[in-house]
Amino acid sequence: MNTLRTLTEADFQPSPSEDNLEQISRPSLSYWQDAWIRLKKNTRALISLYLIVGLAFFTLIGPWIWTKDPAAQDLDQISQAPALPKTALLVKDFEPSATPIDTTHPPAPSGYPDALDAVTGLTVLGTPTTQSVRLSWSPVDQAGGYSVYRSESAPEGLMGLGLPLASLTAGNIVGFEDRLNLKSQTYYYSIIPTDGFDEFDVVSTLEVSPQQSITVSQALERQLIDSDDRPGQTVQLAFHPLGTDYLGRDMLARLMQGARVSLFIGVVAPLIYVLFGVFYGGFAGYLGGTTDQILMRFADFVVALPFLLFMILFKIAFGIGPGESGILPMLIALILLLWPATARLVRGQVLRIREQGYIEAARLLGGGPSYLIARHIIPNTMGVILVTLTFAVPSAIFTEAFLSFIGMGVAPPTPSWGSMCNEGVKTMLSHPHELFFPALFISITVLAFNLLGDGLTEALDSKMRSKE
Amino acid sequence: MSNPPLLEVEGLTVEFETYGGVVKAVRGVDFTVEAGEVMAIVGESGCGKSVTVQSLMGIIPMPPGRVTAGSARLNGAELLGLEPKAANAFRGKEIGMIFQDPMTSLNPTMTIGDQIAETLKVHRGIPGQQAFESAIKLLEMTHIPEARKRATQYPFEFSGGMLQRAMIAQSLACSPSLLIADEPTTALDVTIQAQILDLIKTLQAQDAMAVILITHDLAVVARTAQKVCVMYAGQIIEHGSVDDIFYQSAHPYTLGLKSAMPSNIGDREKSLNPIPGSPPDLFSPPLGCGYAPRCPHAMRVCHEENPPFFKDSNNTGHAARCWLQAPNAPSVPELYQSNKIASDGA
Amino acid sequence: MFRYTLGRLLSGVITVWFIATATFLAMHAVPGDPLMNEKATTAEIRENLARKYGLDRPLPEQYVIYLSNMIQGDFGISFTQQNRRVNDIIKDHFPVSAALGILAITFAALGGILWGAITALYRNQLPDIIIMFLVILGISVPSFVFAALGQLLLVNLNQWFGTSILPVAGWGTFSHMLMPSLVLGLGTMALLTRLMRSSMLEVVNEDFIKTAKAKGLSPQRIFFKHQLRNAILPVVTVLGPQIAAITTGGFVVELVFAIPGLGRYFVQAVQQLDYTVIMGTTVFYGAFLVLMVILVDIIYGFIDPRVRLK
Repeated sequence: MNTLRTLTEADFQPSPSEDNLEQISRPSLSYWQDAWIRLKKNTRALISLYLIVGLAFFTLIGPWIWTKDPAAQDLDQISQAPALPKTALLVKDFEPSATPIDTTHPPAPSGYPDALDAVTGLTVLGTPTTQSVRLSWSPVDQAGGYSVYRSESAPEGLMGLGLPLASLTAGNIVGFEDRLNLKSQTYYYSIIPTDGFDEFDVVSTLEVSPQQSITVSQALERQLIDSDDRPGQTVQLAFHPLGTDYLGRDMLARLMQGARVSLFIGVVAPLIYVLFGVFYGGFAGYLGGTTDQILMRFADFVVALPFLLFMILFKIAFGIGPGESGILPMLIALILLLWPATARLVRGQVLRIREQGYIEAARLLGGGPSYLIARHIIPNTMGVILVTLTFAVPSAIFTEAFLSFIGMGVAPPTPSWGSMCNEGVKTMLSHPHELFFPALFISITVLAFNLLGDGLTEALDSKMRSKE
Repeated sequence: MSNPPLLEVEGLTVEFETYGGVVKAVRGVDFTVEAGEVMAIVGESGCGKSVTVQSLMGIIPMPPGRVTAGSARLNGAELLGLEPKAANAFRGKEIGMIFQDPMTSLNPTMTIGDQIAETLKVHRGIPGQQAFESAIKLLEMTHIPEARKRATQYPFEFSGGMLQRAMIAQSLACSPSLLIADEPTTALDVTIQAQILDLIKTLQAQDAMAVILITHDLAVVARTAQKVCVMYAGQIIEHGSVDDIFYQSAHPYTLGLKSAMPSNIGDREKSLNPIPGSPPDLFSPPLGCGYAPRCPHAMRVCHEENPPFFKDSNNTGHAARCWLQAPNAPSVPELYQSNKIASDGA
Repeated sequence: MFRYTLGRLLSGVITVWFIATATFLAMHAVPGDPLMNEKATTAEIRENLARKYGLDRPLPEQYVIYLSNMIQGDFGISFTQQNRRVNDIIKDHFPVSAALGILAITFAALGGILWGAITALYRNQLPDIIIMFLVILGISVPSFVFAALGQLLLVNLNQWFGTSILPVAGWGTFSHMLMPSLVLGLGTMALLTRLMRSSMLEVVNEDFIKTAKAKGLSPQRIFFKHQLRNAILPVVTVLGPQIAAITTGGFVVELVFAIPGLGRYFVQAVQQLDYTVIMGTTVFYGAFLVLMVILVDIIYGFIDPRVRLK
């Protein structure tokens, strides 16, 4: 047996009466306080909450901070990958120059040469820039002309010479100026002597890397310099932190504008159709009986409509056709097609609540319908409504992106993330960043809302589920 | 000493890890069950009676729950801390168990017959068709009419009472030596309740099977049990025979339970006597007696130290955890205080 | 079971009628004359068409004509391709979309149930973490991105192997169907995995699992016969609407992989305002989806006895 303490007289005195028989051991928490605490404990939900706040900031405040015009085209930096600010060499405006001719050389061969020497002395005059590359070479004996090629990869012998830039028809032409679509990358110029008609099998190649440059008038136009800046100086080109698209438009600015479109549709549409669904479903659930059956039947029909097909149909019916902006029609179409799911959920919840004892008790205490609805039914459906709303947003964003992607949604030039993906897919292999960023933003947004919805469901759930 | 007891439980302690802290649900429980005996465990919701028997069966989910101390031996073989395979050998075979709500305690997508036959297939290796036939016989044994047809039906086609009979049939399939019934009648109405209890009693007598009956209803105890353990706040606070508990209650809580029972005889005008207050918070169990805050006879020592068991000097099978059973404790009118009387007497 | 099926079929017919009506109304809300696509018709043909489809008659009459034509299974002739009947267009191209869709949903269903069961089995361990990460990707990344990436993968794969392991686009053999249907089913597979996982975890807390344990059944037996069987129910429920999602999501996959399915023709018809093709395709799709949902309901009836016997 355990050792008994020696019991004294004092031990047996009646204990002071405890007034706190019903002592509450833990502070009482309201439903929402408890849910909030649980939500905060869920790391993933918390991260997604921050993400959403960040996105809201990006969308609303972003354009005020990053003020670049999303429609402006920066022709110097087309399809550029994300990079640090680039500089360009300021050059004089283009002045046509005469074709360089070596007067000591005859323009045509004196006979019919069997072979010609390869071109020698192939060099670049001055600094090669994206404005022009000036090639120069020594004339070849007995040549009647030259063919100039340009390739982006080194040619192998006579193969892979690339783009034919010119067929010069005089043997004493000793230079050529290339101004065709130059970018600041490595080019391989190849030159082949001809007899005026046919090419001979000798080739000389030169590797040239033109520098990014901009002419004075272009720079002035784009307000990159003052009027007293001189050629030879370096100029800061517009900074595009996320690169540019195939038309030279700044990706970051477009993403921000696209965010406004995509999120506007993605948040406003769900808000409206969830609200509508709440009223519809709440109404049906509260009234019950035949009214409920009829209302739900109708909702079932709307659900049966093939969603995407009708989205497109509605969009056309309300909109102005596939060529126009289409934000409002899409909004309306989404609302018309997506409300039944919420209605059904809310109705189910209302039905469940109606059966609960506390409703009967409140009613017996004299509560009228409006009191019951406001004080008891709605607060208990809030959880379901909140979760539905949180999941409805990514669904709407997805749908909008999808439709924009197939050209049935928001149309250019108005950017939306979906249409940006559409454009990005076309250059996916060469310029992946054009697809990557809009897709990333869509994914992050959808992810954030989904995780938040998950977290909310868990936080609100154990109260939603009946306990045994 | 006659035969060793069928089941011996010593110092069973079970805790649960929750997001609010550690809950000490069972705090040192000892009891024994003899072969063929019906023992009832009584207590209010949350006192730990279900957790006790469920940990014997090993069906407490062990991540949040853990058995931190104690042992339980069935015919000498230890039940706690077994590997799943060893545990499955006695579950359903040596010990059968039925639960509170028959409606949710059976697989809704399997026929009743299949569910009963499953036990036989798994434990006795009886082939399908034969097992099904045995299942039908078991259903008949529990007085389910049209047993053959019923065996092919699904749980939702049965009424509550019939489902409970089916559960009983299922649990008895392998003729276990011990049946644990966790509040078998709580979800049923009173008339069905009586039928189920009588059924249990009949079957128990028929097969000399021991039964642990968990309930919060004293009337059930009176009707069916031979031995009783009263639990409160995770501990057994009194145990003895049915007569001991009812006629010689040695703990204020037992007294409180008895007087809380509404009676249909006697004065209609009398008000009901609930026990004021609620059980203690098991996140941090009190140092003293768990019942002290609600006990009308509490003394200073009760709040400071948890009382040990004091045995009835006239009857060693009866004991209570109460300082009022100590030799020099003050007298309390309705309470049976054997030590007191003994020390008072000549 | 019979009555259950009959009831489903009946409500299905009514639903299809509703779809047809809604389509009719939606089409007539489109601004512009459906015949105004001049490059496809001459004045004479326009008159004939107008007469045949009663476009000069009042709306209610048009509706009746429309319905009666539809009941006879006649969806009319394409406005923009005068020598093709809508029925033929559907007949030629729908089987392609259907095959794609069915393969996709099979992937999605089998995959979803499999991965979901695995994550529940290895809860909070490595397989669970990996799969759930992939699931999150699957539900966040838009399907068209997957389609584009899938194609890219094929291109690279073929380059790496030096030959064409799998065709990058087009249709015809099973290997043509593999990547497109995989890509198409990914989103749904992710969804079903998540659903299966939460369903399994919920079921494991149910009372009858406690009973099963108390019966001394082996963990495998409990997992398959008791847990899985009950956990599949919500997943099957959701399968019906998912078929709808997959079939309509097929457009993009058809576009990216140059598959001659009905979706592509639908998009074209919409851009050209090809009245009859739009209506016919919509109603046909609608009816098909209703049929699929009914089928799923019937399958569900087999799995859950409560539904067919109550």
